[in-house]
Amino acid sequence: MAKISREKVEVVIAGSGIAGSTMAAELGEAGFNVLVLEAGPERKLSEMISSQIWSRRLRWAGPEVQETGDLVGAANFAMGWGTGGAGLHWYANWYRLHPDDFRVRSQYGRSLDWPISYEELRPWYDHAQVYFGVSGGKNPSAPPGASYPMPAIPISSQSAAIKRGFDAEGLTLTSNTLAVNSVPYDGRAGCILDGWCDAGCPIGALANPLVLQWPRAKRAGVKLRHNAYVTRIETDPSGSRATGVVYIDENGQENFQPADVVIAACHTIWNARLLLLSSNDKYPDGLGNSSGTLGHYFTSHALTTIHGLFKQETEPHTGVTGANTLCLDGYDKKQPAKDAFGSRAWLVAQAAKPNDLLGTALAKPELFGDALNNYLHRASSHYGNMTVLCEEDAIPENRVALDPSKRDRYGLPQARVINSLPQENVARSELAKSEGLRIFKAAGTREAWAGPRAPMHMIGGTIMGSDPTTSVTNSFGQIHEVENVFVAGASLFPTPGAINPTATLAALVFRTADFIRTNRSSLLP
Amino acid sequence: MMSRRRFVTRMIRASIWTSIFVRILSRNAQAKIVEQTSYKQFTHGEADALAAWCDVIVSGARNAGVAKFVDQNLSGDQASSLLLLRYLNANDMVGFYRKGIIGIDAESHHRFGASFLQLKKSQQNEMIAAAVASKMQVWRDPDPNFFYFISRSDAVDVVYGTEAGFADLGIPYLAHILPPKPW
Repeated sequence: MAKISREKVEVVIAGSGIAGSTMAAELGEAGFNVLVLEAGPERKLSEMISSQIWSRRLRWAGPEVQETGDLVGAANFAMGWGTGGAGLHWYANWYRLHPDDFRVRSQYGRSLDWPISYEELRPWYDHAQVYFGVSGGKNPSAPPGASYPMPAIPISSQSAAIKRGFDAEGLTLTSNTLAVNSVPYDGRAGCILDGWCDAGCPIGALANPLVLQWPRAKRAGVKLRHNAYVTRIETDPSGSRATGVVYIDENGQENFQPADVVIAACHTIWNARLLLLSSNDKYPDGLGNSSGTLGHYFTSHALTTIHGLFKQETEPHTGVTGANTLCLDGYDKKQPAKDAFGSRAWLVAQAAKPNDLLGTALAKPELFGDALNNYLHRASSHYGNMTVLCEEDAIPENRVALDPSKRDRYGLPQARVINSLPQENVARSELAKSEGLRIFKAAGTREAWAGPRAPMHMIGGTIMGSDPTTSVTNSFGQIHEVENVFVAGASLFPTPGAINPTATLAALVFRTADFIRTNRSSLLP
Repeated sequence: MMSRRRFVTRMIRASIWTSIFVRILSRNAQAKIVEQTSYKQFTHGEADALAAWCDVIVSGARNAGVAKFVDQNLSGDQASSLLLLRYLNANDMVGFYRKGIIGIDAESHHRFGASFLQLKKSQQNEMIAAAVASKMQVWRDPDPNFFYFISRSDAVDVVYGTEAGFADLGIPYLAHILPPKPW
């Protein structure tokens, strides 16, 4: 069947989540003619139903992902499906990477360096937190930056119960920093702390693309096309410029969308896969892969959750899903013991409902029958939790690859994620687990236990760098070989640090949008 | 965007006593539905086996309609599915459950010479404990421990994950937008 050829646009963006929608709004407001192609269906605020069961419809339902290794799983849980992507169910934890996270290779002789420093990204972090609306207080263990535009969310009963343990360990528990309105902000409501962030926030207190970026983008004339799965980027015969993208529509029909600038913003796995699928005579191993690093240096965060039942009531169903409080003490000590490596951060007192992956029932998966019922009745008012994120080294063996032996629903090679936690990061994770159990016991829990190590966040695979022989893009996400193709998202990060990636992702998007604005004349023929 | 006033109104509606009353009504209604139900994916035998298995894991799961919940959500596409399995293994969701149900009865016959439905409560508990401990003797595929994890989640969903389930646990539901139905 012949491809349908569409009317040319100046900028086409694959993906309508936080990276894609922020980029679209920025470029639309700068006067570019922008089209966004979203793989999933149109979403409305009315679909943000307060139910862990119903919220599953917001999660990924696109092509299958194979996952292998000891730090994989639940990719479909992390990704979104439809307008706003994962931005409809993200937890809004908002942190800056620390200065040493940008120079791990230089400082410690392992993992990678970024091509930019914290100081270069700092003004973009400052800008992003005003744009998104961030609540938070001062934290002496956080990197320097502007004050947050809103005061912190109040300390919850759950945090108050856990804080005794941090005090006993000599660690400082601070308010969390969240892209959640503690007070009305920018025309959006203040949070009512009902603990449903995970199911989407229809009142818009949590900054999600349906209330933040998309209204701005649409006012600026940005077009959004749903059920449009981008399968490859086309280049001209010389290979020096991209000419547009091919996508499959809801009828299974291939379309060609011409564009002057192409931006991949479709989450970590799919950014890498899209470039790998875009191989041609000039780029037989994939677009942007002259270095051989495309797909490689995939990282995650090694997560361990500490659970406990407290004597006092903790109201665990209230608050925010992200975390009510935070401990960054010791984050910069990347070598906490011999043969252990990596930063760690404690996210404390996450709102928990009874069901789903982060619910109180699955916190004790071995219980059934009367024991489960008794536990849940106790946990519904006395449960507390916290999560530690530990750094994973960027190594080439961990990667996103194509599996030609298995085809997805479109007949394309399936994406395969291979990720195993390096041994010194395992040791770091074990130290953190022990620390967490000590904290909970010192807090006076009747019972404390740790869950299994699991991955959180997907990072890398299209890493940025100064050297075209060792990276996929430059620091603006512009792929080295083709100047009018950009990547946006956490797939650009050479290292993951030990904190949630969205603040850094957003700061990079603003920086790249500014670069495209500034270089408009050279990017548009 | 939804106003705070609308939220407060809904919070009052979702008060615990109201929800308990609703739950009593819905339990009766659900029991009738289960008796008359027809399945799109499962045979009645498969549905009965899954319901019995889940009911040992979470008391009340059978009457809450766990088999119907799973069957109904296997009948549409992945995008509309409400099952937790879609996060973890969406390749062949129908096959996963069907093979798991076969595994339950194969293990049951191997251990006790009878189907899971015919076992004494203590024997059913022994089977579940074996799944928790990954000590099934003949059941291999799908991994019995993972099947337990998923089916337990389904049972928790229908018993505790609804507005009525929250009320039973004494948890205010606090909805922004109430679900159109429990599942």
